[in-house]
Amino acid sequence: MGTPDVGHRRRDGDMKHQLTRLSTERPRTVYLMVLVLTLALGALIPRIHVDTDPENMLPADQPDRVFHNLVEQRFTLHDAIVVGAVNEDHPDGVFNPESLSALVELTDAILAMDGVIDRDLMSLSTADNITQAGPGTIRFEWMMQQAPGDATGALAIRDAVDRLPLLENTLVSGDGKAAAIYVPIESKDLSYDVSQQIQAVVDGLDSPDDYYITGLPVAEDTFGFEMFVQMGISAPLAGVMLFLLMWYFFRSASLVVAPMMVAMATVIATMGLLIGLGFTVHIMSSMIPIFLMPIAVVDSVHIMSEFADRYHEGSDPREVVGTVIDELFKPMLFTSITSAVGFASLIITPIPPVQVFGAFVAFGILLAFIVTITLVPAYIVRMKPDRLARLHVLAVSGEGDNAIARLLRACGRIAFGRPWPIVALAAAVLVVSAVGIGRIEINDNPVRWFKESHRIRVADEVLNEHFAGTYDAFLVLEHALPDERLDTFRRNAAASLDALDDQALAGRLRGHLEADPPALDRLIADLDDALFEARDADLDRLEALLGDAESLQQARRYFLRPDALAYIESLQEALMASGLVGKTNALPDVTKVVNRELRGGDAADYRIPDSVPAVAQTLLQYQSSHRPQDLWHMVTPDYGAAAIWLQLTSGDNQDMTKVMAAVDAWLADNSPPAGVSVDWAGKTYINVVWQQAMVEGMLLSLLSAFAIVFVMMVVLFRSVLFGLIAMLPLSLTISFVYGLIGWIGKAYDMPIAVLSALTLGLSVDFAIHFVQRFRTLAAEAGAFAGAAAGIFEEPARAIYRNAVVIALGFTPLFFAPLVPYITVGAFMASIMAISAAVTLFLLPAVMSLLQRLLFRETGAASGAPVTD
Amino acid sequence: MIGRLTAIAGLVLGAASATAAAPLEDADAIVERANLAAYYAGDDGRTEARMLITDGQGREQMRQFTILRRNPEPGGDQQFLVFFSRPSDVRGTVYLVEKHVDRDDDRWLYLPGLDLVKRISAGDKRTSFVGSHYYYEDVSGRLPTEDTHTLVETTGEHYLLEHRPIDADSVEFASYRTWIDRETFLPMKIEYSNDDGEVYRRVESLDVAEFQGYPTVTRTLVSDLAGGGTTEMRFRFIEYDIGVPADVFAERSMRTPPREWLERDR
Repeated sequence: MGTPDVGHRRRDGDMKHQLTRLSTERPRTVYLMVLVLTLALGALIPRIHVDTDPENMLPADQPDRVFHNLVEQRFTLHDAIVVGAVNEDHPDGVFNPESLSALVELTDAILAMDGVIDRDLMSLSTADNITQAGPGTIRFEWMMQQAPGDATGALAIRDAVDRLPLLENTLVSGDGKAAAIYVPIESKDLSYDVSQQIQAVVDGLDSPDDYYITGLPVAEDTFGFEMFVQMGISAPLAGVMLFLLMWYFFRSASLVVAPMMVAMATVIATMGLLIGLGFTVHIMSSMIPIFLMPIAVVDSVHIMSEFADRYHEGSDPREVVGTVIDELFKPMLFTSITSAVGFASLIITPIPPVQVFGAFVAFGILLAFIVTITLVPAYIVRMKPDRLARLHVLAVSGEGDNAIARLLRACGRIAFGRPWPIVALAAAVLVVSAVGIGRIEINDNPVRWFKESHRIRVADEVLNEHFAGTYDAFLVLEHALPDERLDTFRRNAAASLDALDDQALAGRLRGHLEADPPALDRLIADLDDALFEARDADLDRLEALLGDAESLQQARRYFLRPDALAYIESLQEALMASGLVGKTNALPDVTKVVNRELRGGDAADYRIPDSVPAVAQTLLQYQSSHRPQDLWHMVTPDYGAAAIWLQLTSGDNQDMTKVMAAVDAWLADNSPPAGVSVDWAGKTYINVVWQQAMVEGMLLSLLSAFAIVFVMMVVLFRSVLFGLIAMLPLSLTISFVYGLIGWIGKAYDMPIAVLSALTLGLSVDFAIHFVQRFRTLAAEAGAFAGAAAGIFEEPARAIYRNAVVIALGFTPLFFAPLVPYITVGAFMASIMAISAAVTLFLLPAVMSLLQRLLFRETGAASGAPVTD
Repeated sequence: MIGRLTAIAGLVLGAASATAAAPLEDADAIVERANLAAYYAGDDGRTEARMLITDGQGREQMRQFTILRRNPEPGGDQQFLVFFSRPSDVRGTVYLVEKHVDRDDDRWLYLPGLDLVKRISAGDKRTSFVGSHYYYEDVSGRLPTEDTHTLVETTGEHYLLEHRPIDADSVEFASYRTWIDRETFLPMKIEYSNDDGEVYRRVESLDVAEFQGYPTVTRTLVSDLAGGGTTEMRFRFIEYDIGVPADVFAERSMRTPPREWLERDR
């Protein structure tokens, strides 16, 4: 590598030269600017707000999310922590005085905790019981106000639960070995805190049972907590790893300080900006530091490699740095832009946290580029001459002739010497990968974001084995009267009111009529009062209007109709018959239990009563309990909408999707009664919705990033052919990695989906450096063969070094207890390794096969490299 | 059963109209007077009641019923009939209660939709009254002998008493306080506290009027301070001493309501 032609430095930029001049002549100013930027943005970090709610994977106005929240409100549903007590040893399971006494004690302690919604807490000691107390007598009482003193009392409770389908398999497992407490909480971000408090009580509990705590809110909130911890562990670990790797490569701690400063400044400024702009730190954005750190040092590694090669004792470091920057500016700029494009393409996905992640990593990469080309030169020119001298010696003696260097040269000989087998192998890999991609299983479940040994995963498994399921979904049936019915009533009522003798009265009644929907209860009450004092002339009209209003009110109270309940019942039966659902709870269950007990307790009377008044009066008795509000989890107080609570033993999106398909199929054969619509809500359903949105969004963002990067390659190399060649490594890498996921059966989940687009931006880097440097070499050497030898010297070593730096830089993630972190670490490490290998083998092979086509245009000897 | 309802509704005994004399100082004596004032007005009485149940989200439900009451002896056993008229799908539902001061009450229920008369075991009396924020015990009346009473303060208008349950396991409250009007002896406000001393439930008498010489609460409100819901109850068409015979309070009246004793405009 000779001294570059001064003629190269022309148009590329005044900016480039100004920056270089600034950094080499006024290094202190550069230091100060970077410091101020870092401190100013870093000062915003304490404002951090962590958000782990997967619901936020959907925009706040997304229709399914809006509906889900509306359903939670209308049916007063809350996120709940599930606490389970399991006794495998006692012959009566948890139905022994010791277990039950501990359960009561724990329930009381939970009820005393802040943030717990006492009235909706479900436990054996807060449940109501309805029983026969002798012939013709029913009794309403607490199921277990105090723990029973003896075995008989404990077994009596088991028998009572056996008669209440709403509790069976929900509060007590079918085998009697486990009991559960459902702890509704005011806000899901209290889940971790409340679950810790519960754990503390459990730890001090004198109980023969094993206790487990799970539920989606706990999983999500705990994930948030551990994620926060990981940000404090993984990111610094990655930093230490990088430092050690670079120290090993450059044998100079003082030189390596520069890239570390770049990495720190980039990470701190980017996170500060993200937090300062008011974005929450979500699962994805918590990984920004870990992504940015290795990427941020890549450019520094190129600069330092090149500098170490070119610097001789006695030469002016300023001039050498200028030359190095001149040489590397364009490839560094393009690799930074392509990486940024890869991440920025995530903005296309409809998932806000992923958009934020993509946007800020892209920002960080560009910031890292700017900081690198200013701070690193500034740092180098301030180094002492003797250190600089040692650097060169180490670089030349250490790097030029070691095992790695020899290996890379051998690799070059193979690639250029036997191109066909390599191309054939690549084609074969592509085919096998394509088949693998076809086998990819799309699936996710926030509980699976923990390792299998994590206490939440264990609790999830144990409790779902015993109970009908800790995952919730809701099918909401809503009835709407035909508009004509309301309009007719309004029209007729308005006419009656107009005709009244007492217009003062008519005015009052009109107010109720004009409300939307009409305030029927109040209208009826006022009509009833009015009848008492009405003028004789108005009596008939008022009575007729009262009759109309009451009949409309009855029509609106749709889910008191036996046929409406029967439809819900048949839907419940279909759900159970599908084998996909652990249990369903809905209005027919309550109605049937109370009907049976009112009629004497015979199993034959476990059925829906046969008239609207019978259903209404049955439910009125249900409301004469300690927990009348429980009814409103199943039907709205106006009886216009009903909800079926589905308990699922799996939170996997795949399983939920199967349930949804089963319901769709059933609905196709059993269309809902006129005016009734059926819709989904619930956390498990919402997870499916955002995952579907993400899969589609990711495909789009991958394709657009691919297109943009391709166009950039064509522009960079001013050649479509070179552009295509530069796309080869990333295409093969992505295909291979996703093919592998398909073959090994790892689910395509959120982290994997997000990685697809950014893979592209990172794995094109090596190709850019390789092609660009090759063309420069070809121009300098004037021959393909000369370039082919030169490219496997310093350029190949830089690629190798960078691949190792990034791949190993992500390895601290392997030690995280959270699966997405491990996935990302493994994924990034393999992408780096594979794309480096593909670049070093496939590119030379293809280029040697196409050398006539590729280098005819540059005219190998013309000396017109693309750097200008 | 309609004990405290009518208590608060105030079918008040004439004795309660004692004019403001020297304030009483014995808590038990005050409770005794309040019990009579609140639960035992006249030899008998009839009122129509309408409940507006509002949940924490402001959603409303209505219940309308007529109460017929007879008390042979002040402070003694009582008989009640409660006839539901609205919403129309529960029309005809009837409760019959024989309240006893020395043992559990007898309660029956008639459901016309199921054509069924059912006896209700007394069990727990602190369950919801037909889905409202009132408890059965607010309705059937909590006997003065179930609590201990302390006179906390005597103000210009009220006696403020604090009550603690003798059997703490049978109730959900730790204690409650009652503000009793010094003139009428009607309870004007009751506040229930939990173990932490927080007030979680409040019953208020909002309007009082005099009927046939008996001061009577005509509007009352229960507030669930934890859940945010309320039940407002209004009483109208109040009449005392109508002369309803004892044998009207029987199962026969549940299936065939005694119209002559129920109609407003006799």
